[in-house]
Amino acid sequence: MPAKMRLILSSITLALLAACSQVQPWERGYLAKQEMAWDSDPLERALNDHIFFSKEASSGGNTAAGGGCGCN
Amino acid sequence: MMKRGFLTLGLGLMTSALVGLAHAIEEGDPAPDFSLPSIYADQPAIALADMPGKTVYVDFWASWCAPCLTSLPLYNDLYNKYRDRGLEVVAINVDNPIEDGLDFLLDTPLDFLIPSDPEGDMATQFAVIGMPSSYLIGPDGEVKLVHMGFRPTDMEMIEAAIVANLRD
Repeated sequence: MPAKMRLILSSITLALLAACSQVQPWERGYLAKQEMAWDSDPLERALNDHIFFSKEASSGGNTAAGGGCGCN
Repeated sequence: MMKRGFLTLGLGLMTSALVGLAHAIEEGDPAPDFSLPSIYADQPAIALADMPGKTVYVDFWASWCAPCLTSLPLYNDLYNKYRDRGLEVVAINVDNPIEDGLDFLLDTPLDFLIPSDPEGDMATQFAVIGMPSSYLIGPDGEVKLVHMGFRPTDMEMIEAAIVANLRD
């Protein structure tokens, strides 16, 4: 691949990356909605988490804590 | 040549990652000056510059953030306890649309100042890293305490920090 081609390709890749932006903690209102949860049934989720944590001897990290508000 | 291409790409990636990373406010930093409209349309704008010599407790909250909603009535009690000694509580609402925040306030009336920051301009300036986040600003304009998250048991520590930084 000629050098110029590589440069153009790199530039395009970088330009596309500009669209990737982090959702800030104060912008998580939509993520905190019930319908945005991976599992719609909180009871089932709690049970699955309990089984998973017991098997893995670890806990946490499964959801955005506190309904996506980034706390805790 | 190939190596240099990768280097360029790597540097580019690092730059993109760093863009937007603002300096988070820490204890000992001067407080960023804020001026925001009140969430209530009939109330005047709220600015730090209008509170010289006061101890200001700034809290970022939203109606979708459960710990925030737990903390606000407790901050209201604290405000009423120390307002005569120069405490101001400024609870910046970041709800967008702001009606969500107003809905909560209908059921939970609060006595302190509530500015509205739907675009997150002040949250960006403080570089808030989680919700809720609060900042205790001393009468000298310096940030004395940065607190992230909220549990009711945190109140003891927050109250102690406020009392230690009251003017008299």
